[in-house]
Amino acid sequence: MLYDIRQTTSYTYAAPVRANRQVLRLSPVDRKGHQHVIAHMLDISPRPSEIERGRDFFGNGVAWMVIDAAHDRLEISTRSRVEVIVGPLPEPMLTPTIAEVRAVALASTELGPASPVHGMFASRSVPLDLAVTEWAEASCAEDRPILAAALEVMHRIHDEFTYKPGATTVTTLPAEAFAARSGVCQDFAHVMIAGLRGVGVPVRYVSGYLRTVPPEGTPRLEGADATHAWVEVWCGDSAGWIGLDPTNAIPAGEDHVILAIGRDYADVSPVDGVVVSSGTQILAVGVDVIPVERSQAEAPAS
Amino acid sequence: MSGAETRSIEFEQAAVESVLGGYETLPGVRDEMMDADGLPRAHWVPFLSELAQLGPEELRRRFSSADRYLRESGVFYRVYDDVGGGERPWSLSHVPLLLEKSDFAELAAGLVERAELLEALLADLYGPGTLVTNGALPAAAVAGSPEFLRPLVGVTPRGGRFLRFYAADVGRGPDGRWWVLADRTQAPSGVGYALENRLAVTRALPDVSQTLRMERLASFFQTFRASLLKLDSTGEGRVGLLTPGSLNETYFEHALLARYLGFLLVEGEDLTVRGDAVHVRTVAGLKRLDVLLRRLDADFGDPLELNAHSRLGVPGLVEAVRQGSVALANALGAGLVESPALMAFLPRLAESLLGHPLALPHVGTWWCGQEAERADVLAHLDDLVLTSAFGTLIPGLPRRFSAVGADLSPAQRKRVMALIARRGEDLVAQDIACVSTMPVWNGDRLVPRPFTLRVFLAATEDGWEVMPGGFCRISESLDARAFSMQRGDRSADVWVLSDGAVSSATLMPSPESVRIRRSSGTLPSRAADNLFWLGRYLERSEATLRVVRALVGRLSEVEPSSSAPLVARVLGMLSTWGAIPRDLARANPTRYAIAALTRMDLPGALPQLVRSARASASVIRDRFSPDGWRALLDLEGCLTAPVPNAASEADVYERADAALRIIAAFSGLASENMNRLAGWRFLEIGRRIERSIAILRFARAFAEPDAPRGALNVLLQLTDSQITYRTRYMIMEARGPVLDLVLLDPDNPRSLMFQVQRIVDHLRVLPGRDPDAPPSLAERLVARIQSDLIARTAETFELVHFDVLEADLLKLSDEIGQHYFIQGPEENVSWPAAT
Repeated sequence: MLYDIRQTTSYTYAAPVRANRQVLRLSPVDRKGHQHVIAHMLDISPRPSEIERGRDFFGNGVAWMVIDAAHDRLEISTRSRVEVIVGPLPEPMLTPTIAEVRAVALASTELGPASPVHGMFASRSVPLDLAVTEWAEASCAEDRPILAAALEVMHRIHDEFTYKPGATTVTTLPAEAFAARSGVCQDFAHVMIAGLRGVGVPVRYVSGYLRTVPPEGTPRLEGADATHAWVEVWCGDSAGWIGLDPTNAIPAGEDHVILAIGRDYADVSPVDGVVVSSGTQILAVGVDVIPVERSQAEAPAS
Repeated sequence: MSGAETRSIEFEQAAVESVLGGYETLPGVRDEMMDADGLPRAHWVPFLSELAQLGPEELRRRFSSADRYLRESGVFYRVYDDVGGGERPWSLSHVPLLLEKSDFAELAAGLVERAELLEALLADLYGPGTLVTNGALPAAAVAGSPEFLRPLVGVTPRGGRFLRFYAADVGRGPDGRWWVLADRTQAPSGVGYALENRLAVTRALPDVSQTLRMERLASFFQTFRASLLKLDSTGEGRVGLLTPGSLNETYFEHALLARYLGFLLVEGEDLTVRGDAVHVRTVAGLKRLDVLLRRLDADFGDPLELNAHSRLGVPGLVEAVRQGSVALANALGAGLVESPALMAFLPRLAESLLGHPLALPHVGTWWCGQEAERADVLAHLDDLVLTSAFGTLIPGLPRRFSAVGADLSPAQRKRVMALIARRGEDLVAQDIACVSTMPVWNGDRLVPRPFTLRVFLAATEDGWEVMPGGFCRISESLDARAFSMQRGDRSADVWVLSDGAVSSATLMPSPESVRIRRSSGTLPSRAADNLFWLGRYLERSEATLRVVRALVGRLSEVEPSSSAPLVARVLGMLSTWGAIPRDLARANPTRYAIAALTRMDLPGALPQLVRSARASASVIRDRFSPDGWRALLDLEGCLTAPVPNAASEADVYERADAALRIIAAFSGLASENMNRLAGWRFLEIGRRIERSIAILRFARAFAEPDAPRGALNVLLQLTDSQITYRTRYMIMEARGPVLDLVLLDPDNPRSLMFQVQRIVDHLRVLPGRDPDAPPSLAERLVARIQSDLIARTAETFELVHFDVLEADLLKLSDEIGQHYFIQGPEENVSWPAAT
């Protein structure tokens, strides 16, 4: 599946900003077996006085930028053409058991970005939590095939939780979203991570885009799409990381475009910045995910 | 040992019986002073006989003088647990730990080896990672640490070293061997306290410390400082000490070390990254800073790439490190090797990294992330200490959990068993290490108490240097198991007894390395800001105190009928300043004076003024002498002590007078002891501006043409100009001469003109002023005030001029703030949730 993706992020500052330093994680990169980036452009206005592009530890595309001239608006826009490749999902019952996966991960001799060890421990935005762990344990007997267990946890989040925009923020802890049984995609991903890590399963956070299809007969609105979040569960050496989307209760598929991967939201936050200013700021984000060839698949809601 | 020596030791032993009476060692625990036969060890005997000679009475006197020294130099340790975050005075156990030189040398050699191992380990884990790929270390034992800072992977620190300052907590086991209990590589604390303890003990026991000849500490600090200075490429010898700020529990130590080592004490907000290099914001603009002694935990170092919630760090610091433009001691990420999980692998890693086993053992440790170890731990659970593998909080267990299996509550046991089954990687099990005891003076005799010892090492170009001393933490409880005494109730000095000549190094650099310099050094904007406000608050306190004193002194002596209008004016002024409540209807002047002196809730009353002064001073502790700091504490103590209900005029007068005397003492210390550098000038400018404002307000209230009788006298009193007036005029107060003296006379140090001239002088020589550039706005403002005063005569002064001058002074204060202090607040950008 081929997409053209546009994202525009703008900050409007109430008082002129004298210095602006940002770290941007807005550039999709090639993910072997998942996606291929054909073209990508990053435009920043006003023009940064310093900019450097590279990769972070997890291989995400990062831009470090500084603007040192006074400005009252910052606009960051990206345009990408990405091909999404979807392989077949392994037969869940044939994946290794949780106990086997744990043993392999704990003995891993790989410290690089793809290693399961990075998905095993509590992280900044996902502290482990007893209540979430106990809840996940019901699906995660040690001798159960890992993908079967993870799919069940994913379905349970979808069934037991209410999708409720505005009820949570970027800093809401998984335990809080769990207690309220509601939240948005980021919360659902964090709850799933907290639960699976609590029972010792390596799991990581994915930020990206999800294609949405407008209701029959209505035109597609510009910028109506949104950034999305889901998880990847490590299913052993041969199956590797498998993407699961608890918000929509589906495996990550043709409609999921990966932007960045990390242990949790804090690792992949699209913009981390510090400005020198005395005033407030207004942020606006617009996303368009436009299929270049129309897919036959029915696309889910974000 | 010869017969004569034996006899002499026996003689000394007899002499020390008095100090040793009733000293009973704990069963099964080694004691540092007494051997197994209940006899003092040879290297303690000279010390004990010195104590014996002093006698218990003298000892009590000496030890309380050491306590007083620590209290008076303001040594404190901030306690987070206290409600309101109180400061706890540093608690010193007066008897030092005595170590034989050979004993310490062996320990030191073992620690040097360990430091080298940890350095090699860090270099591999942040570099090629071969220890993991070749199977010597499981990847999960590294990835589990929150101090494995992924943005730093692949970055070689400037100068090539991760560790530059390392500390180890050690204890001595029953077999007499030293054991490492924990490694400190993040930002080890305690070395400054060790220095203070040494000063306090050697002051209390000057004769004893002379006789015993212990190794000195100064050359260690000298070496450490020199090794950091070598990393500075600016050629200006500038090294920053990065502190989390005055709320940190060991802030006192940061200020002390900065002062002792001659480093610049900086907080994150003092620093900014420009062009991938770190700069400090100073009153003379941005100055490059290449070297930072880091006392801020790495995670808080950079909100952009580490903890986004950190308000203590420097945005862009990681990028500056990556570019190699700044050296941090220790490097960001060095805290990784503190984790107990890694300790489990050190013996094996020593073989592959050093080529031989570690000479110094550490407490036996097993990481429960491994199957075989897990089974072993389960089999011996009752005899092992269980603790967090990476120092992180484990849900269901208390913070800083550390407990013996046998002592676990049923609920904890259940939780631990569940963890071992499902998340063993979060736990380590350790042997129960039993440490030795040392003597503690409990008021009238010596008693044994268990302790751990922290030893400090600094990296130099020629390898690791060990501080010949250390920092003892002593537990009040008799439980000598190391895990049970993490905090320590008291500390003690450590004397490494020298068998040869003792070097008498001080922190004076060697003569050939000194470049003569008189320049002002570097004054961070934040420090200047706080000095300026300290000056303003102190002066405001002084003005308010003078008014209070006038209220209960001079005014109350005059008969009520003639004093009433004057009292009303004074009260009106205090009320405008927010120093007294507006609702004390018809109270007598004394009640008002008490309110101004004691009301905690009024912004202009003295408790809040002196608190604000103290708060400004507390974040720049490195810039004060202990005496100056003590004066501020005294002032706060004097003005916040409770006032008896039936306080009389005399009581109030007394207190106001005492407070004024302390302020005068502080001013004296500042003018006699502070170098005429930028910092002193900002303190001065703050005071002069505030005093100018007070003079104007006094004059406005009491020199009106229709002011009540006696008003001019009050004005002279408030401006402390009575004596000058009397000697000059020998007549009753007349408006013209009084105003001339109070406002215009350039030779009266209490006149407005005098204050303004001082401000002019200070502004002219502040750093960063370009001699070729036109004067700054602040300079132009104050020049206008000055020329206005020169052009005016006392007769031509009108009410409106007071207002104009006061407005100009406030504008001047703002302008100084804009120009020298404010370089923009930095705000973190927030981002909305993905949906």
